[in-house]
Parts: sequence; C-alpha cells; structure tokens
Amino acid sequence: MSFMEFVIAAVGIASAIGVVGFRNPLSSAFSLIVHLLAVAGLYALLGAHFLAVSQVVVYAGAIMVLVLFVLMLLNLKSESGRRIGIIRSAITVGIGLVIFLAVSGPMLAQFDNLPQATLDHNIKASEGGVKAIGELLYSKYMVQFELSSLVLLVGVVGAVMLAKRKNVQLTPREGGLGGAK
Amino acid sequence: MDPISSYLGISCLLFTIGGIGLCLRRNAIVLFMCVEMMLNAVNLAFVAFSKIHGNLDGQVAVFFVMVIAAAESAIGLAIILSVFRSVASIETTDAAELKW
Repeated sequence: MSFMEFVIAAVGIASAIGVVGFRNPLSSAFSLIVHLLAVAGLYALLGAHFLAVSQVVVYAGAIMVLVLFVLMLLNLKSESGRRIGIIRSAITVGIGLVIFLAVSGPMLAQFDNLPQATLDHNIKASEGGVKAIGELLYSKYMVQFELSSLVLLVGVVGAVMLAKRKNVQLTPREGGLGGAK
Repeated sequence: MDPISSYLGISCLLFTIGGIGLCLRRNAIVLFMCVEMMLNAVNLAFVAFSKIHGNLDGQVAVFFVMVIAAAESAIGLAIILSVFRSVASIETTDAAELKW
C-alpha cells in the first residue's frame, strides 16, 4: 500500500468516524463531504476515473448540497442534551466490531482464491474511462440504464409529492407545524 | 497484505462505522448520512473487485448504486421534511409513534 493510499484511506476512515461522532449534524455533514472526497480519491487510485469524477459531482456536490439545504431549512435549535449513554455506545461499538471481524476476516482469508491477474497498479488507458463504461452501459446494461432513468423520475415526483405543503383549506392538525400556514 | 485486499478491509471498516452510526445516532439526517456512507463502502468494494477481476461490470454496478442513492436522497429528505412538519423534530425518538 503506497503512502498516498494510506493517507487517503486514513482521511476517509477518520472522517467516517467524525460523521458518527460529531454531536452537531452540520459538523457531521461537512465530515461526510470530506469522507466522500476521500472515497473518490480511492476510486481514482483504483483506476475508476469516471466513478471518481461522478462521486465528486453527484455525492459531494449534489446530494450533500441537498442535505445541507435541508439541515439549514430545519433550523435545529433543539439539538440539545439528550446524550447517548456510555454503556449503550460501548455495546453498539462492540457489536459492530464483532460484525466487522466476522465479515472481513473470512473475506480477506478467501482472497487468495480470487483471480490475481490484474493486481498490478498499471492503469490501462481505457479502463475506468468514460468511453469504456459508456459502451458497457449502452450495450450490455441498456435496459437497466433506461430503467434507472425511470427510478430518477419516480424519485423526483415522489419527493415533490412528499415535500408539498398540505392543502390550505384543511383544518390544522394539533401540535404540528403543517396545516394552516 | 495485498493492496487490493486492504481496499476490501477499508470497505468493511467503513461499512461497520456506518452501521454503528445507524445504531447510535437519533438524528434522522445523521442516520441518512450514515446510510450514504454504507452505500459508499459497498461501492468501494465493487470497484476493488472490478479491479481484481479486470472487467468493468463492477463499476457499472457502482454507477447504478449512485443513481439509486440520488433518488433515495431526494425521497428520504422529503420524508424527513414532512416528518419535521408534523412532529417539529427530526429526532427519531420523537417520531416513534409514526402517526399524526
């Protein structure tokens, strides 16, 4: 593992811990941006250049802007002192580490059985580029690609339906912020 | 340890961190961000395996995961917004009744 990979992986893991650890959701969001950029760096080191770019554009750009937008919109002053107990945290982290070892141990142990042909870090020019992925998307994965546009359309319509304000004529509900406004 | 298998280890670790966050935190938006993190961990494993096997199918899978994640974030945040409108909070414990 080269020095570059080590640094980027360390940044990614540290910022992932930051997402979970920060009390303020805004800090979590910025930590997540750093995390997503670090993962984009790992993609680039693995030779997936197109994915690295779209990770930055889609995740660190669009999705995180949306998250920050909602976070600002909600104006969370009431992020108050409901602390999570030490015992509960310890138990959760313990269970998580057990799961981690249970998953990663066998996977890494089985690694020798995987094809070893392309383990070198020589990146071929076409591999991971826009052209190669685009050809694959429009030939082998044509149907899935078109269906994904349908998924996005349903996502847009669903988001509008869900986030739309309720009809003004309805009687205001008790205790809610919705209703008559 | 091989370079690529260390990528798989990183992917496992990130997935675990996201899962721990999902269990620990109560803020709905932070939960949402933890889900995004877990999706990213899986994507990293996809790319690593794509590199191991020397074909691009894994990267196409990552592309589709990104599409789903984009749709999921739009709908998820809209749900969080509408929950916030009805219970005036995004702590999951406050919305435990799941009714208006």
